[in-house]
Amino acid sequence: MENDTVSKYSVSFGLSLALSSVANALLVIAKEKSPAVQAGMQKLTGHHWITHVAIILVLFAAFGWLFANAKGGQGLTMPVNRLIKTIVAGVLTAGFVIVGFYLIAD
Amino acid sequence: MTEMILMTHVLFGVACIVTTVWVLVDTLNADEMNLPRIRWMSRAAALFMWLSLLFGGYWYVIYYPADKAIILKGPWPFAHEYFMETKEHLVIMLLLLATYLPIVASNNLAANKEARRLVLWVAAIIPLLGLMIEGHGAIIAMGVKVALLAKHI
Repeated sequence: MENDTVSKYSVSFGLSLALSSVANALLVIAKEKSPAVQAGMQKLTGHHWITHVAIILVLFAAFGWLFANAKGGQGLTMPVNRLIKTIVAGVLTAGFVIVGFYLIAD
Repeated sequence: MTEMILMTHVLFGVACIVTTVWVLVDTLNADEMNLPRIRWMSRAAALFMWLSLLFGGYWYVIYYPADKAIILKGPWPFAHEYFMETKEHLVIMLLLLATYLPIVASNNLAANKEARRLVLWVAAIIPLLGLMIEGHGAIIAMGVKVALLAKHI
């Protein structure tokens, strides 16, 4: 028998994926435009890129956990169609921001 | 030895792409029989991506500064200024997508059409982004090569 709902972790980590991707792009701009931010990230782990990866992974885990435990532990719910659109939009937006930034702004 | 680290990074990257395409094709024909295989292959894709990032990240932090200096003095400085800068940040999204794949593959894909659609989308984005990043890597390697060739001519 067919059903049309996905697990709460599919929704929560899907939303987290979209959000973390956009955060990834924004962090690129922040560290490239602000030497202080880049120096701070460098200082934290010894290399700005390691700090960058660590921040995004922590955000991905934290948002995913938070969304999965929302609504009294039931987790956020959303139609799968909208979840797919959110993930694709998040990844595409972040991708275009990163590519556009290094192509034009930097 | 450093070349081996770099090639291992590329090898695991390609392995992630191939396994994800496997997941994509298997999901198009998902039933109770291939469900365990889809789940194992999606976990393998995530593992390969993590290993690729660990090897690539180690090489990038320890050995890349020397290559970067060569590239920037050569005729293709954009190999670093655009391609490496873009690659090192796009790859983080690839890591997130590959990590997410086993989570969505844990749904009952044989009985759930919407879950299948979700897996298909994620499994389609990974190879596209992965191939783009592999191409970036090739251009970066070419950036080093043309810089060294220019030095000798």
